[in-house]
Amino acid sequence: MSRVWFRTEAVTDTSRLHDRQLITRCLAGDTLAERALYDAHVERVYRLMHRMAGDADLAADFTQETFIRAFERLEQYRGDSSLGTWLHTIAVSVALNGMRKVKRLRGRTEAIDSVPEIAIQPLGLTGDLRARLYAAVDALSEKLRPVFVMHDVEGYTHDEIATTLGIPVGTSKARLFDARAKLRLALAAFAGDHIA
Amino acid sequence: MNDDNFDELLAQGVRDYNAPGAIPREEIWERIQAVRAARRAATPLPPSVKPRMRRAPVWLGTAVAATVMLSVGVAIGRRVERSHAPVVASVQPVVPKTEATSASAPQAPVVSTTPDRDSIVTAIQHETQHTARRARELASAGPAPSPSRAADDNRVLAYQLVVMQHLVGSEAMITAFRSSARRGSVDTQIASWSRDLLNTTRLLETSPAAQDPTMRRLLEDLDLVISQIAQYTTRGQVNTDDLELIEQSIDKRGVMQKLRTLPGRNAPVGT
Repeated sequence: MSRVWFRTEAVTDTSRLHDRQLITRCLAGDTLAERALYDAHVERVYRLMHRMAGDADLAADFTQETFIRAFERLEQYRGDSSLGTWLHTIAVSVALNGMRKVKRLRGRTEAIDSVPEIAIQPLGLTGDLRARLYAAVDALSEKLRPVFVMHDVEGYTHDEIATTLGIPVGTSKARLFDARAKLRLALAAFAGDHIA
Repeated sequence: MNDDNFDELLAQGVRDYNAPGAIPREEIWERIQAVRAARRAATPLPPSVKPRMRRAPVWLGTAVAATVMLSVGVAIGRRVERSHAPVVASVQPVVPKTEATSASAPQAPVVSTTPDRDSIVTAIQHETQHTARRARELASAGPAPSPSRAADDNRVLAYQLVVMQHLVGSEAMITAFRSSARRGSVDTQIASWSRDLLNTTRLLETSPAAQDPTMRRLLEDLDLVISQIAQYTTRGQVNTDDLELIEQSIDKRGVMQKLRTLPGRNAPVGT
């Protein structure tokens, strides 16, 4: 599992100092600081939005809305968590609301059987199984999916997830356990031949 | 399969789940800036300076200009609508190049879009871009530094004009999209056109123009329909399910009806 985004405490302290300076300048109306803040966090936010939305346009929309809200509410940031975590709290909220809206508008969700086969063949998984896995992740509930995507796909720690989602660390772990159990169940019958 | 095996396979399998491509960093930043500027400009006006149409004689010049521009927009939209009929009529069967090909597969019709239609679409796209520029300018300008009733009235009227132009352009684009969809094709020109319109729609949704509840609902409806069209045309593949969803959105929300029955849209133009 890739842990590209894992950050040590020392890095976090430095980042917070940097964030504080940026925020002060942003609140003073410094547009260069706003851009610097955006540049520092947009990649990670966009990645998570794309992982959750599965669509580049939606990911861009959610990222845009996240930063707009963040700039509007910057003075409310108290520094209890890192700026990145605070931004992610906004981002996840924006994404969940946005996805609800999208689902309502589409009025349907793709059935697992209708998911097209993925052409790329990862190690140990056939295209069919992979497509099933993706559909099963898509079908996870609103509580389980963010935890699973953040932890198992993007490599966030339980501490980060807990702070971002405003839940205890134990709940984050429990939700990840539940998510994996559901995926196992969803894939069990199909996976027999492929991953015995 | 034990837990460890499963977790390992899961880790491998989900690595590419919804994997993001290149981040449109600049595009998102521009949109953020535009929306924030629009929101700053959208600070509510006190009731005393809200637009009052009885003051129209003061703005007669602007109103005349608005009417002329709207008329041009309506005329262009209707020309696009008409220009599609000959396009359908001009569908020509493919002339088989060899006997083998003629025997092996049924001949698909080739739709040739006329230069006239292309030039009209380009002209309207141009108009759309102009409207988008104008909307951005208005948003960037923000409220007048020393607010006066005249300045505020001017600003509101300017927004109304931009909104009307935008609605005319949106109607033309939706009409063009439906027409190409009826032909069973995806017009790639509409992809960029619809994205331009979507950006302007979102800009206007956060502008003073959206203070009117009816207009706000219409802009929200347009946001949905145009974003569906933008996504569909960007994908560039015919998908009847998605088309049906778009049609449902247009019909259920009465988008075309609302666009065509807007006040000021009843001028006998090109009829």
